[in-house]
Amino acid sequence: MIRKPLRPLARILLAREKGENPDHIERENIRLRAEDTRARAQNRAEGRLLLLGLAFFAAFMVVGARMGLLAASEPMEPRSAASGANISALRADITDRNGRILATNFSTHALYAHPKQMVDPARVARELAELFPDMKADDLERRFTDGRSFLWLRKKLSPEQMQAVHDIGDPGLLFGPRDMRLYPNGKLAAHILGGSSFGAEGVNSAEVIGTAGLERAMDARLRDPAQASTPLALSIDLTVQSAMHEILEGGMAMMNAKGAAGVLLDVHSGEIIAMVSLPDFDPNDRPNPLVKGEPADSPLFNRALQGVYELGSTAKILTAAQAMELGLVNPETMVDANAPMRWGKHKIGEFEGKNYGPLLSVTDVIVKSSNVGTAHLALKIGGERQQAFFKSMGLFDPVPIELTEAPGSAPLIPKRWADIVTITTSYGHGMSVSPMHLAVAYAAIANDGIMLPPTLLKRDKLPQGKRVLSQQSADAAVSMLRQVVTRGTASFGEVEGYEVAGKTGTADKVKKGGGYDKGKNINTFASMFPASDPQYVLVVTLDEASENSGPKPRRTAGWTSVPVAAEVIRRTAPLLGLRPQIETLPATGVSAPKP
Amino acid sequence: MSFLEYRLKTVPTGASKILHVNWALVILLTAVASVGFLMLYSVAGGRMEVWAEPQIKRFLLGLAVMFAVAFVPIWFWRNMAGLAYAGSLLLLLAVEFFGSVGMGAQRWIELGPLRLQPSELAKVTLVMLLAAYYDWLDIRKTSHPLWVLIPVILILLPTALVLTQPDLGTALLLMTGGAVVMFCAGVSWYYFGAVAALLGGTVTAVFASRGTTWQLLKDYQYRRIDTFLDPSGDPLGAGYHISQAKIALGSGGWAGRGFMQGTQSRLNFLPEKHTDFIFTTLAEEFGFIGAFSLLMLYTLVLAFCVASAIQNKDRFASLVTLGIAATFFFYFAVNMLMVMGLAPVVGVPLPLVSYGGSSMLVLLAAFGLVQSAHIHRPR
Repeated sequence: MIRKPLRPLARILLAREKGENPDHIERENIRLRAEDTRARAQNRAEGRLLLLGLAFFAAFMVVGARMGLLAASEPMEPRSAASGANISALRADITDRNGRILATNFSTHALYAHPKQMVDPARVARELAELFPDMKADDLERRFTDGRSFLWLRKKLSPEQMQAVHDIGDPGLLFGPRDMRLYPNGKLAAHILGGSSFGAEGVNSAEVIGTAGLERAMDARLRDPAQASTPLALSIDLTVQSAMHEILEGGMAMMNAKGAAGVLLDVHSGEIIAMVSLPDFDPNDRPNPLVKGEPADSPLFNRALQGVYELGSTAKILTAAQAMELGLVNPETMVDANAPMRWGKHKIGEFEGKNYGPLLSVTDVIVKSSNVGTAHLALKIGGERQQAFFKSMGLFDPVPIELTEAPGSAPLIPKRWADIVTITTSYGHGMSVSPMHLAVAYAAIANDGIMLPPTLLKRDKLPQGKRVLSQQSADAAVSMLRQVVTRGTASFGEVEGYEVAGKTGTADKVKKGGGYDKGKNINTFASMFPASDPQYVLVVTLDEASENSGPKPRRTAGWTSVPVAAEVIRRTAPLLGLRPQIETLPATGVSAPKP
Repeated sequence: MSFLEYRLKTVPTGASKILHVNWALVILLTAVASVGFLMLYSVAGGRMEVWAEPQIKRFLLGLAVMFAVAFVPIWFWRNMAGLAYAGSLLLLLAVEFFGSVGMGAQRWIELGPLRLQPSELAKVTLVMLLAAYYDWLDIRKTSHPLWVLIPVILILLPTALVLTQPDLGTALLLMTGGAVVMFCAGVSWYYFGAVAALLGGTVTAVFASRGTTWQLLKDYQYRRIDTFLDPSGDPLGAGYHISQAKIALGSGGWAGRGFMQGTQSRLNFLPEKHTDFIFTTLAEEFGFIGAFSLLMLYTLVLAFCVASAIQNKDRFASLVTLGIAATFFFYFAVNMLMVMGLAPVVGVPLPLVSYGGSSMLVLLAAFGLVQSAHIHRPR
């Protein structure tokens, strides 16, 4: 920069010549220079101010634009959560075969606390304890003030409770949305559905996981996000289930039984239409498993599936059917029925020491329920073939249905299959299976000898069945079972118009440590209807039932399970769409009246 | 130019000063504060006595302080700058030792009935001192490294004290306010360029090093930065304020839900609803139109300040006006950006609207300085 000298020599000399004070020139020059600097500073400052103004303006634009954007946006709740953002509460509904809801989800709220944000922990503790009697005020207050910053208080709140907690009005009490499983029918299909509880829990959602029954067995399907909107349809018919539940409950009380189970199976599809086990529970409030004692005493115990007992006489028809299938006998063949029968050191007798001998037709062996007759049939069949047949009927394996408890139906089978075992199992002793097994085996007979795997899920397509009996053997067996009702031990089973066929079974409970517990019976009636073209199989089991209307208690199935089963059929057959039919009697030579 | 050069005859004296007050600015400030009263009334569920009434009292007191400051000649305030700065530094130090703790930070000092926040005071005294410094400094030395170092130290001293409280928001406001004064005083571009490059370089290096072998920070520190930058990833933790505020803004829409109809703020979803996040109530109840109107009011306040600064030939007066305007601007810009989720949550109130005593008093006193500069400008 070229600067003007403050004291220009030429001008000073000139001024001195004129006699003026040369200092004046310097002052004037200083003033000019200062003005110049100030002007430049002013210019620069104005430039910068302009820039600053631009920056301000840009910031305004950003704020204004953002405001507009937010104002235009749809208000949206924050969806992802700090903890548990990846927890999905999705769970498909469960319906019966007609689409009626058995299990669904219900939105509720969980209550948690941020004690550090509490205004008055003592008051909150006191008022919470008033709302929820199971909470203790001093305990709550201690937990609110011990320095933790998070605390679960309640997993589920009803809307009323939530409002009450709202009214406490403390910012430290917070609600997290919860999808909770709801079983609107309460106890009605309790053992089928099982139950559910919360799995991974976050503040904003919690996983619902199945803990028992179908909920657990089908957990993966129910939680599959792709299928969450498609309800899972069961084979159960809620109406039939409800009727059976009601009748079994009544029957159990009337017959003084401690438990009851019922299975209704569609023989042509293998679908389980109803399955009831009593006593039962409410899956909405599932009780805890028993810690000690018999598991069978817990309401959680599914008698229809886990109740593995000796079959009793209901097994006899299997023996008869196999003997006919093998061509060893036909229904009219006379077999030895002399009681008691001796086999080594064992003695085989009939019920109440009767003797149906010396000879009895195969049909009558079934109708009169002769142990000795059945034993002779079994001996003709032989142990090997008997085992193979039982296995083909599914009696040696757990029932493959969609319940967590299914493996609990594993049958109890003798380790060595001696001849005496062949004899006793032929009439249902020495081998224990569940009522569900029996239903499946009877369904094979009813389904013209074709065995179908049972299921709890609605079947759209029939599975490949497996023939275990010829059509003739199956028909002959059904006809024998029909006669058990018309003229045999199950006469109380007759339901007009529905041609009930079936077989009773009365078995003593096996005592702990071996031997039988006299007076503790498992009474079973395994039936099918209508006999002329069987559609459904019904098995009803009563646990320790006794019918006390007579002079002494009657504990046989014919007096206990059969009337209950008959009532079930009377009620459910119309619900199942069966028309009552006039039984076609064999022609007797009497001509029909002319119209 | 110093005050000795004023042609004092043309500067109004006595009662005639009232005529020379920048009345437009007074009206604008009152309008902004009134928006605050309305909102505080609404947030309290239609009750005056909770927040609105004390706020009105404080505003009236603040106006009185403003006029008192305004009628004192600006050259007096210039002479006081050093003292004021030293005083506020002392108060900041006192807060370190005797201050009361509120909301996890040590910010307050009890002076009888008054709860003073010295960091608020420091913002104004720093601007005053820097303006006085540049008024004193030979304009040719402005960009000399030594003479740049001095104001930098002057800025960093209170900033450091405020940071230890800790109060990141105020510290940032102090730094940016000081930087604006330096910028307007004409400090060379190179310094600002260098600082900007340094900051940018550091940030880039920190992020570029993530996941590499020469990573500069620990993993958890990066995660904190992530949450800081994107609070929506943690809506119940750090991001809670933000997401609730956004919901309020979104639910307000264009015209809003109507006065006293806001849900988000009234139903206690929003923390700090009467202080830092009061803007959301406005946005929800009066929508975009209401929120934008407030923004416009702020802009006009700023515009009047800048116009006054440009007119003013006195260097101190002009710099003080600009510095205060800039501080005011950063106040509401940071608050609005924070509420709208464009800036991280740092505790910065909405000036004159948020409930709070010392902030409003100090701001109005600062506008008193602006008025004083306007009244006593050389003509």
